[in-house]
Amino acid sequence: MHVPDGFISPWLSLPAYAVAAPLWALAARRHFGRASAESLPVVGSLTALAFVIQTIMIPVPGGTSTHLVGVLLLALLYHPLVAFLCESLVLLVQALFFGAGGVTVLAINALAMGLLGPLAGWLAWRLVRRLSERAALFLAGWVSMQVATLAVAGALGLQHRLDPDYFPMPLAVTLTGMLVPSLTVAGVVEGLYTVFALTLVRKAGFRGVEA
Amino acid sequence: MASRPDPRRGRWLLAAWVTAAFALSALRDTRLLLLALLLLALLFRRGLWRNLWRTLRAVLPVTAGLSLASLAFLRLTGGEWPPLGPYAALALRTGAIGLLTCSVLDRVDLLRALAPYPAATRLLVVTLAQIHALRLLATDSRDGLRSRLPRRPGALDVVRNAGGITATLFALSARNARDIGEAMRSRGF
Repeated sequence: MHVPDGFISPWLSLPAYAVAAPLWALAARRHFGRASAESLPVVGSLTALAFVIQTIMIPVPGGTSTHLVGVLLLALLYHPLVAFLCESLVLLVQALFFGAGGVTVLAINALAMGLLGPLAGWLAWRLVRRLSERAALFLAGWVSMQVATLAVAGALGLQHRLDPDYFPMPLAVTLTGMLVPSLTVAGVVEGLYTVFALTLVRKAGFRGVEA
Repeated sequence: MASRPDPRRGRWLLAAWVTAAFALSALRDTRLLLLALLLLALLFRRGLWRNLWRTLRAVLPVTAGLSLASLAFLRLTGGEWPPLGPYAALALRTGAIGLLTCSVLDRVDLLRALAPYPAATRLLVVTLAQIHALRLLATDSRDGLRSRLPRRPGALDVVRNAGGITATLFALSARNARDIGEAMRSRGF
């Protein structure tokens, strides 16, 4: 779901950094603004956790596979801003060590996959949890995936609108190409995973570390 | 024994990489992009083929897949083939930034380059160590699932197993965070 380097021009990627930077600062100060001996291990561990969850590949019909995003769990157990900061660090590690995503599009990917997706999932969970906790968790996982996908496709569509010669693929193509698998497979998988994982995490009595 | 990269040179390379990546991401002229690729190939000759291969594997599937879908869509809706120039520029741009990234990161020891920023270095060390520890657990769990089932695990098996391992991953990451915090405090951080 990442936007790769080269798909988005600096006219969009730099403003995205301008939007993301104060949010990174706010998240770091609000949730991890203590002594480094207390905050660094927590940030590092949660980032690693989000990274490892994203390496879990789920086989899907047709012989291909999708991967979990999982960062919603951090939003549900801690706060959406914690999820945003940790997902941004995951994207940085992926860009620096694994050549995935990229440095120019890091802010766009972080805003879409780390903030908008988990925030939407967190809001959906808060709205529906009184009716049924399991349904709320499934919906949160599904909504989080759709919103993140829409945000990524929206950024690509905006780039096409700004300059079709720079990014020649129209919104209809990117939206269909990304939303169809997301609506039918990846969203359902993420929803099921969120239900299983959070139920077991709570059953295990996980209290977490203060973030 | 190979000499370790100079940390100051590493920092300069990282700064130049970020600047060049943004500059390349602004280009849309096919000739300029070809020239940039040629310059990169000349500048980073050591490990060129390996880095080209890594770049191709990283950028080709997405770029080619979306480009083909877009060409087919525009041909079907517009009745004629769209100009290929923007697609070629997109492929060259993603390729040039990918090659630049692989080549620079091949030449930089990130931990040594970040040495003047102790908080960043510690965060990187903790994160990478935790990734290694948690990944071992995730891999063991996946192998365990495969060995328990007489058939190939389906999507639901893997999702259920991932749910289970997530609880363990959370518990382990929390315990590790507490242990690292105590170790750091005992060393005066």
